[in-house]
Amino acid sequence: MNIFSEIYGTYFRIAAKLLENEVIDEKTVRETVLRDGFRDSILFLPQKLIPSGEDWGLFKRDNNNMLRRITKKAPEKVLTKLQNMWLKSKLSDPRIRLFLEDNTITELEAELADIKPLYRHEHFKLTDRYADHDDYSDEKYIANFHEALDAVKKRKIVDISFTSGHGKHVSGRFVMLKIEFSPKNGKFRAYCYKLSNDKIKNSGLINIGRIDKITDTGRIFRTPVSMDNYFSSRKCSTPAVIRVTNERNGVERFMLEFAPYAKHTVRDLEKNEYVVELWYDEQDETEVLIMLLSFGPVIEILGPEKLRSQAKERLDRQYELLYGKNAQ
Amino acid sequence: MAGFSELIKNFDKTREYVRDFFIYGCKVRSDFDKKSVRTYDDEKRRVESWMQDYMRYDDSIKGRHVSISVDSGHISENPLYNAYYSKSFTDNDIKLHFLLIDILQDGKIRTLRELTDTLNNEYEQLFDDQTVRNKLKEYAEEGIIVVQKRGKTMYYSLSPTRIDEYIQKYNGLSDAVKFFSEAPDFGVIGNSIMKAVGIRNDLFHIKHNYMIHSLEDILVPEILKAIDDKCSIIIKKFTWKKDEEPAEEIIIPMQILVSVQTGRRYIAGYVPKTRRFSTYRLDRIKFIKRNIVCTDYDRLRERYEVNIHRCFGVSFGDRRESGNVNAIKITFTVDEKKELYVIERLEREKRCAVVEKTGDGLYTLTADVFDPNEIMHWAKTFIGRIVSIDGGTEKIRLRFYNDIRRMYRMYGGEDDEHIQ
Repeated sequence: MNIFSEIYGTYFRIAAKLLENEVIDEKTVRETVLRDGFRDSILFLPQKLIPSGEDWGLFKRDNNNMLRRITKKAPEKVLTKLQNMWLKSKLSDPRIRLFLEDNTITELEAELADIKPLYRHEHFKLTDRYADHDDYSDEKYIANFHEALDAVKKRKIVDISFTSGHGKHVSGRFVMLKIEFSPKNGKFRAYCYKLSNDKIKNSGLINIGRIDKITDTGRIFRTPVSMDNYFSSRKCSTPAVIRVTNERNGVERFMLEFAPYAKHTVRDLEKNEYVVELWYDEQDETEVLIMLLSFGPVIEILGPEKLRSQAKERLDRQYELLYGKNAQ
Repeated sequence: MAGFSELIKNFDKTREYVRDFFIYGCKVRSDFDKKSVRTYDDEKRRVESWMQDYMRYDDSIKGRHVSISVDSGHISENPLYNAYYSKSFTDNDIKLHFLLIDILQDGKIRTLRELTDTLNNEYEQLFDDQTVRNKLKEYAEEGIIVVQKRGKTMYYSLSPTRIDEYIQKYNGLSDAVKFFSEAPDFGVIGNSIMKAVGIRNDLFHIKHNYMIHSLEDILVPEILKAIDDKCSIIIKKFTWKKDEEPAEEIIIPMQILVSVQTGRRYIAGYVPKTRRFSTYRLDRIKFIKRNIVCTDYDRLRERYEVNIHRCFGVSFGDRRESGNVNAIKITFTVDEKKELYVIERLEREKRCAVVEKTGDGLYTLTADVFDPNEIMHWAKTFIGRIVSIDGGTEKIRLRFYNDIRRMYRMYGGEDDEHIQ
């Protein structure tokens, strides 16, 4: 029993999909491979599916030059032991109540009674998750999450009242687009557009844990939304440019810690340094700044000037705290 | 010379390559000096194929840089899962998979003889008993086939659980699978459920998403099993030099430690050789093998539970388990009227440390931890607010003061060299 098994593989999955039809044509084979395969699968997979002498023998060519499957029925999608064990583990995750009603959880637990969970919560310890993470078992939180999820799925226009990060009470009309989870913060947030007269006013993020009330207006937001455009609009206009040296294994530490960010790296062979362009969401600028400062003199913020000057300002303050004003 | 194949036998090798492309974002062929040119080209081609839209190419004097650039907070599916979906197999493997499922999906039980006869008579497929028996045994372990023994004869049937039926029957399960397929842990298994029934995650994104962890998931079940069975494990790390054989190390595993801020995961365990607790980064481990039952496991576990509460992160420090530790005290200045968020931050991020108000606008964090050095990376996120650092070790304190002076100069300040 292993996650790395051909039974979950792309080739098996494509074959299963094609075997759902009694008869198919070559075009369908190629289209399915192009759509569901890896980039180069079209070069390797069709000849294994289409009778060619080197194929797997899953299809035979009939009199109409069509491909007839050798099996009798569409293949059943059996839930494997590993998948069952995974589901069983997730039933013990407090976040499961955000998706399933309690009676559904009880039914599934009974169904999986004989299954050993793949892992238990106590097998893992998050060493640095923030202490003020969401309380996933709070009934009001669960109810608000259900409302928010339903609003996202149906693109409902909703009225939301919530408390902002600065402690202000805010209410307004929104369309919720997607839900984001951060393992670092232990929080769920919803990507939203704020609406004014049914038109998009601006974009924002609402913490599910800060929502007081969501009210369905009974209306649907029908304007097509491009999430790519939504995310681009929230990105910094110029990337942070960071010089990374290899002191204290800086390169590996930096690259790993900033792995979630889109970045472009250029190596300076003469200096044995790296220059990294880092794109981040504008609202995360302070978070990025303090992450960068935590690397100490191993890295340097080269630009943009706004970010560099914020670093300088903090360092001036820090120098003064340690060495006094006269030292400057 | 064999041609290129999209499929792979060996996951370890691929893990190493994908990690390097993904993490460093700037590897060229000559960096992989311990590998053959062909291996590099093949691995690169596979990674390109899996990652498609996320590949970047930059030409430099040293060669063409290949890298992966993913804004992982805004994607709906971890592209690294593709590595798991690339396991190679034989023609018999795929044929028997679909034929056995086809025969058995009527719900009836059959003997090995009946199955091989059906394959021969109804499907015109000739397989010897041993090949079919092996596949049935393998599928029984995977939970696809159910085996019953009646007298001396084994009977085989198809497992009754169906993915599509589960998704239909249990309202909300589809959403749960969408979420957990991208969230830690073992998201790839949830993704395999979704792929089987053609569901796509159109609802969730994961911020601070260390996608690379998914490649390490291959190692984790064996570790968890060893923990449950109170066994030691043998680990082998990746080597950086050609032909270097890594030394084996024996660990008695206790827990998997996950840093959600630095993107690292570790095995925490007791190391009999050094007689102390230690941690090993999962991304550096190539191979794990179960060793022997540890008769002393419960006692070690109790000690671990005590010790882990004195780790700020994952380091048990340099001292022996019973050694003394100097608490480190860091005092921060805060404008209590305007900067309540700083106090909130300290409370939120202090972990095992204690935060106390020690004066007007002064807050002191005290951390009685094994390795005070571990706190300093985090402490530097408060640059601009640190009034003093006491305790810990002199080396830690000096390094901090020196770092601030270097950074001050780096950002244009004129440092007085005579300041100590």
